[in-house]
Amino acid sequence: MDFDTQVKLTVYHHFASTAHAPPVAHVAAQLGCSLEDVRQAYARLRANRVLLLESDGCTIRMAPPFSGVPTQHRVEMGRQTYFANCAWDALGVPAALHREAVVHSRCGQSGTLLRLQVGTTGPESSTWLFHCLVPAAQWWVDLVFT
Amino acid sequence: MQAWCRGRGVTPRPLVRMAQLWELAFAWYATRLEATARRPGPDEMRRIFAGLGLNDPFWDPQADVFS
Repeated sequence: MDFDTQVKLTVYHHFASTAHAPPVAHVAAQLGCSLEDVRQAYARLRANRVLLLESDGCTIRMAPPFSGVPTQHRVEMGRQTYFANCAWDALGVPAALHREAVVHSRCGQSGTLLRLQVGTTGPESSTWLFHCLVPAAQWWVDLVFT
Repeated sequence: MQAWCRGRGVTPRPLVRMAQLWELAFAWYATRLEATARRPGPDEMRRIFAGLGLNDPFWDPQADVFS
């Protein structure tokens, strides 16, 4: 397994088990490598649109569907609460972890609080709609805005 | 949604039902924690979107028609 994939999986498994982004030192310790090795891998993963990093180059803002910062899209799964980057990613968390979840969010139009039960095969029946302002070709131009 | 977009001076975009959104989420993320997982490339993205009836150029990952 190539090094970047090892880094990616370490990041993702840390998110899955803790609901938080791993400190770069943790990733380095898990892989027995230097902080600089991890930073360089992060840069390549960012270039390949796997991770979104903060300006320091080593703090993970997004490992989609997981958010490294609190957002309005909370995904409750047992005793764990994850933050997702958007409504799509809020469904992506139970999809990635193959577990049932309850998604809490807010309607971007009305501000109404939303709660959605999601099973392992999909969400409960709903009339809600997803609307994304940014065309697919521009998603990664400013992924936080997207 | 139309009124919300008008109020902000933005163009309304295609709407996605929750069932479609789940299919997108599953296609994108179901294997994300696996060693062999890869992000869908442009052609695969187009196939995924088309399979859900999302055929607007909005969903083309390489479209150059949007400013």
